[in-house]
Amino acid sequence: MWNLARKLLLHDKLRFVVAIAGVSVSVMLVLVQVGLYFGFMNTASSIIDASTADLWVGKKGNESFEFATPFDDRAFYRVASVPGVAHAERVLMNFAQFKIADGSDLGVQIVGVETPRAAGPLMAPWNVIAGDLSRIGEPGAIVIDRSEYAKLKIDHVGHTTEVNGVRAEVVAMTTGVRSFTTSPIVFADLKTARSFMPLLGTDAVTYVLVKVAPGADARAVAARINALPHLAAYTTSAMSARTRTYWSSRTGVGAGFFTTAVLGVIVGFVVVGQILYSGTLQYIREYGTLKAMGARNSAVVRVILSQAMISALLGFVIGSGLAMVMRGAMKGANLTVALSPGLYVATAIITAVMCSFAALLSIVKVLRLDPASVFKG
Amino acid sequence: MVAIAVSELGSISPTPKGTPLARLVGIGKTYGTGETAIAALRDATVDVRAGEVILIEGPSGSGKTTLISILGLLLRPTAGEVWLDGKNVAGLGERALPALRARHFGFVFQGFNLFPALTALENVEIALTMKGSKTGRAARAEATRLLELVDLGPRLHHLPADLSGGQKQRVAIARALGGDPPIIVGDEPTAALDTKTALGVMELLRALATDQGRAVVVVTHDPRLERFADRVVRVEDGLISSITSASERHAS
Ligand SMILES: Nc1ncnc2c1ncn2[C@@H]1O[C@H](COP(=O)(O)OP(=O)(O)OP(=O)(O)O)[C@@H](O)[C@H]1O
Ligand SMILES: [Mg+2]
Repeated sequence: MWNLARKLLLHDKLRFVVAIAGVSVSVMLVLVQVGLYFGFMNTASSIIDASTADLWVGKKGNESFEFATPFDDRAFYRVASVPGVAHAERVLMNFAQFKIADGSDLGVQIVGVETPRAAGPLMAPWNVIAGDLSRIGEPGAIVIDRSEYAKLKIDHVGHTTEVNGVRAEVVAMTTGVRSFTTSPIVFADLKTARSFMPLLGTDAVTYVLVKVAPGADARAVAARINALPHLAAYTTSAMSARTRTYWSSRTGVGAGFFTTAVLGVIVGFVVVGQILYSGTLQYIREYGTLKAMGARNSAVVRVILSQAMISALLGFVIGSGLAMVMRGAMKGANLTVALSPGLYVATAIITAVMCSFAALLSIVKVLRLDPASVFKG
Repeated sequence: MVAIAVSELGSISPTPKGTPLARLVGIGKTYGTGETAIAALRDATVDVRAGEVILIEGPSGSGKTTLISILGLLLRPTAGEVWLDGKNVAGLGERALPALRARHFGFVFQGFNLFPALTALENVEIALTMKGSKTGRAARAEATRLLELVDLGPRLHHLPADLSGGQKQRVAIARALGGDPPIIVGDEPTAALDTKTALGVMELLRALATDQGRAVVVVTHDPRLERFADRVVRVEDGLISSITSASERHAS
């Protein structure tokens, strides 16, 4: 059956190439578009996902993660003393002006974290590849990702500049810490971050990260914190999901990527459907002959479905290869295409379903084929 | 060159000559209904017996194709009985027919109907597989045997495009023999061939009847083929006008 299907499909080389190209492009579009979407979403929540906190506590009514309203240390101490909270840390996030070597300013996202400390901090710069992270406690010390060096016109660890007019020195470099907004992420110690933003007051906080006590239920602790005035607590995974959803719906990137992916599937569907159908018409006498000789409908349908599945399989393999190439190319443009095993499996299923549906017209054609037609001129 | 010595085919415990294999009784076929109805066939009665070659002749549109389509269970009659294996199968539902066709009939066509993408061997093999008679290695071995039987042993791996018309029809005959059906039905299987090749193919079909006890029922426009026939059925305007046996023909 497979052999026959393969030969029928391969007989007309041009048609075969077009069919496989159609499926490949469709697979590639689905993988790249959905991968880009997940890449964006991963970036949107990367800071949250990198923390080891159980709970994120912010001001009630915060719409987005990045544009959070600050509160002050009193609220932090109230959270820290809630029963079930083993340990709490402050994070101060805000936008600031970063002075570039040529004299201009660029907006950056300051992330102030509490360092250093004995126990591992709940939030700290990750993927450090150069410099000395232990210096982050020094006044004015900042940590910047390699991917932002060109944009900020930095060429080495030790570069000094000003943030909001306050002296700053790059003490370490990370890799892969990408911001979702176009503003580069600049890590600093909480004290340094506060010094960059005197207008917020000397005890500003935007988030309190909480580690719950062993045996305590994170949700129960969150409920207790929610009972405090003006504060809202989320589990880290809920906070992450909230942020992704916010950016996805706010920017409409989801709709954009998925529309392109769906168009890809439609293109693949039409191309494969058309190719299978023209092949079916070409061999209609022979299919009729098989039916006349006593082949069951199911057997003939299987020949056609096999052709669809061969197209799906080859197209999936080639399309996946193309997607990997695209991922490499996009990396250069600072775009992350997140290709997970789950995405591959989902795409494989979509491809198989797409090709099966594309074969429907051909299947109906052979099911309706009257075996008596073999004797008709 | 195309002639095959009758002895070459050998015999596979042939059904005794003359054993009834199928019988059409009072067959009528009307296409369509109401004012546009066409009575293509009326009150046709024919016996099909083992070891016999039956030629069906008649003018264009007389009902020849309709007759053999009904015999081959490709078309259901609007009147009459189709007896096969001691049962009237005329009233059987669509779903029962493929299995009956697979067991009782092999078909050959004017246009051969071979998959151009498949070799001679694969064309026979796929038919065996799709009919459900044989699969895998057994199908391949059987296909090889059948093609050798029709003298195409050296052409097993040729595509139809690389075979002559006569060779293509032999592939089709080998395919028709798959599953060992007792009755071979053909609609003008020699019409696309030159005279010499046509006679060769007819000789092969004759040998299938004589040596293997199959019944061969073939529509033709070519009176020169009559010498291979045990009986010639003439159809005119939807009616069987005469059935002439070989002995009667020689007498006249
Ligand atoms: N499917 C159909 N629908 C309507 N009329 C049909 C159909 N098939 C055949 N006919 C009609 O039935 C009659 C007999 O047709 P049939 O094909 O059996 O003739 P034939 O003897 O095989 O002719 P030919 O020698 O040209 O092949 C013709 O008048 C034909 O037009
Ligand atoms: Mg005809």
